[in-house]
Amino acid sequence: MSFDILFNQFMSGIARAALLFLVASGLSLTFGVLRVLNFAHGSLYMLGAFISYSIWKFLLMPVLGFYIAAIVAALVMAALGLLIEFVLLRRLYSRGWPEQLLATYAIVLMITDLVKWAWGGKFLSIQRPKPFTGAVFLFDFPFPSYNFFVIGLGLILVVFLWWLVYRTRLGDIIRAAASDREMVAALGIPIPWLFTLIFVLGSMIAGLSGAVTAPFGSVALGMDIEIIVECFAVVVIGGMGSLPGTLLGSFIVGQVYSFGIMFKPELALAFIFMVMAVVLIIRPWGIFGRPER
Amino acid sequence: MLQNQIKEEKSLLQRGWWLILLIVLSLIVPFIITEFYLTILCEALVMSLLALSFNLLFGYMGQLSFGQAAFYGLGGYTVAMLMTKAQFNFWLSLIAGPVLAAIIGLIVGFFCVRLRGIYFAILTLAFGELIFFIVFKWHNFTGGDDGIQGVFPPEFLKSLISYYYFILIVFLLSAFILWKIIHSPFGQTIISMRENSERTEFLGINIARYQLIAFVIAAAFAGLAGAIWVPFYRSVAPSYLTWIKSGEPVMAAILGGPSLFFGPILGMFIMTFFHAWVLGFTVYWPVVMGALILVVIFFLPGGILGFIHEKVNQRRERLNQLMEK
Amino acid sequence: MFLQTQGITKEFGKLRAVNNVTLEIKKGDIHAIIGPNGAGKSTYFNLVTGYHRATSGKVLFRDKEITNLPAYSRCNLGITRSFQITSIYPKLTVYESVLMGLLSHRKVTLNFFSSAKKFFKEEVWRTLEDVGLADQANTLGDSISHGDKKRLELAITLGTEPELLCLDEPTCGMSPEETDIAMSLIKKFSEERGLTILFTEHDMSVVFGIAKRISVLHQGTLIADGTPQEVRASEEVQKVYLGGSA
Repeated sequence: MSFDILFNQFMSGIARAALLFLVASGLSLTFGVLRVLNFAHGSLYMLGAFISYSIWKFLLMPVLGFYIAAIVAALVMAALGLLIEFVLLRRLYSRGWPEQLLATYAIVLMITDLVKWAWGGKFLSIQRPKPFTGAVFLFDFPFPSYNFFVIGLGLILVVFLWWLVYRTRLGDIIRAAASDREMVAALGIPIPWLFTLIFVLGSMIAGLSGAVTAPFGSVALGMDIEIIVECFAVVVIGGMGSLPGTLLGSFIVGQVYSFGIMFKPELALAFIFMVMAVVLIIRPWGIFGRPER
Repeated sequence: MLQNQIKEEKSLLQRGWWLILLIVLSLIVPFIITEFYLTILCEALVMSLLALSFNLLFGYMGQLSFGQAAFYGLGGYTVAMLMTKAQFNFWLSLIAGPVLAAIIGLIVGFFCVRLRGIYFAILTLAFGELIFFIVFKWHNFTGGDDGIQGVFPPEFLKSLISYYYFILIVFLLSAFILWKIIHSPFGQTIISMRENSERTEFLGINIARYQLIAFVIAAAFAGLAGAIWVPFYRSVAPSYLTWIKSGEPVMAAILGGPSLFFGPILGMFIMTFFHAWVLGFTVYWPVVMGALILVVIFFLPGGILGFIHEKVNQRRERLNQLMEK
Repeated sequence: MFLQTQGITKEFGKLRAVNNVTLEIKKGDIHAIIGPNGAGKSTYFNLVTGYHRATSGKVLFRDKEITNLPAYSRCNLGITRSFQITSIYPKLTVYESVLMGLLSHRKVTLNFFSSAKKFFKEEVWRTLEDVGLADQANTLGDSISHGDKKRLELAITLGTEPELLCLDEPTCGMSPEETDIAMSLIKKFSEERGLTILFTEHDMSVVFGIAKRISVLHQGTLIADGTPQEVRASEEVQKVYLGGSA
């Protein structure tokens, strides 16, 4: 078990963490502000992956193809998010969490069949985009350079979200609405549009994440549930509705996944659950979360 | 001493004349309908048991569990594996099914009850997926995606009609037990937990503990449903444990009405026959389920029985007001 | 010794809501905790009843340390509370609500097969008559008046047959008539059922009307503790609370 291998796995874990953060941050944002846990977030991620695949296949442009496909997928998911929020979710804010959860669950069911109908049950993947097709050697071990792209994207998102939430007026409104939405509404801020904006932003990030994951070769039915379960582990471990928590949770789950795969691939998911179980026993509200009372 | 009387729960006999009618009907129905419909009826009864187990947690305790299919599947796999691999007898396997489901329910539930509401719901989904994943991948032990075939009931239950009666008896007994549980002090406790969890906690109830007990009971009955279904179908497969399967009792409960005991049963009967019909011309059942869930949420909150119950109460109110004038 | 807090402190981040309060509640007393807004009365209450966990200090009940016990355990030991924002069962009937307290206290909640409604009929009716809600026994919790809801909550808590009953602003939102009724009820239960009562209040007439001992909090610190006369006469209290005049 040389250092080089360990370091390689560690870096893979960071790449995985970046991907997880890409997806989980949208979920965390939506939950923090809207107080709705969007079950269908994973479905938007999956749909984003499939759509980016089809666009990439259609464009057949060697360098820009992937990037255009990713951006288009993100925009299409943003539009779908807009549709979902406007037509469905909006009418449910006054109802309880069970109805909201059930509605998003219904959307998961519908999207999963949509994907099955449109793309069948195949396993699809996109070629890694240039200039990230090769590998970089870390301590004599090849590390796919595409992972650096993913990590870079994750970092950009961290910075963007941090800037948005802590350095802009919109961010102030977001944080205020997360604590007390009635007060914010009373101050004349159009809460419905704020919610729509946040949901659309979350959906767009989900779609983008899906496109980004496509070159890893795992675009298939079932990735919606897979990712939502992992995202949930991230949020449980890191802490509910907390961006630093999501970051830490992503890091932990990413590393557990990476080393779990190295150790025994079939049990990687089980290892993640074990960590989650431990957190649930000693600190159910997550590492950066706050207890209810 | 005041002469007041509380609204006594009318005995099952008094207000249950329609129930007696249904039971009599269920006893003679094998001689009225075709084999095709009898098979669907068997499925409806088994799935209704699953739906009742779910509704213990949802309608009465106020928590959503998206993982009941895992216990249903575990019950089924236990029977299948004990009978085909260990040559256990039918009756022992049938008991082992819900017992194993209850044990796993205890372990999973222990973690899930540390959280409430939305988090509880997604945790149940997550654990359900984990269990599905383990069953699916462990090819050597569970047969993986091939499932297990060749699970046969004892000779005297091999015919459709006789197995139907077997399912009916198990269903009626289970429904009766669940009814008793709901109307017992334990049932009253979990209802109070749903109504005002904080108030109940401050009356001395350890909320997590009671949620766990309810979770285990629900897991056991879900496991029983799986256990009696597998010998009927002669096989079991990982599809029994998917998150989509977990959605069926959820759908049934909200369609029929979670606030009434018979709601999930009505909902599941409608769903089972509707499912059979839909499968006749398309394989895309999830999208139909999703659309139905949305329709119920928006147009029929409280489900069918809930809707009827509202109307009846409104009429009663109006009559009372008229009489007072 | 009945109930004692020793140097109890509660911090919320940088805010110290309750600061090193050492106080004793004697058995059989009707003991009031008063103080201006933000004094920490509710927080102190929450520390005694287990709603919050103390940052430091101890809570002892009958020589047993309960500082780290969860709320439900404290209730099982004999400490029950009511909430400032009335906490009842909106969709259960008045009867069923009162029954719940009894079911819990008499430890029959793990009975899975008997009919719940058959239990403790006498005790429920007696409590309902005592608080004057017997005629509304079949009414749903959210259909009764505000004052009745407060009485209902009192009735529910009595179901647990507590030794120490903690009432958080029991007359909050009540009319003068309702307040009088509530006061006499509290006094009655204290005498008839041998309850020790700890309560917080803003209404001074209620406090000086029924309290045997009064403790005064100001910005989380205990500034006075004694009989109503002693508290009234205290300069500190006058300065802080009564605006300098007697």
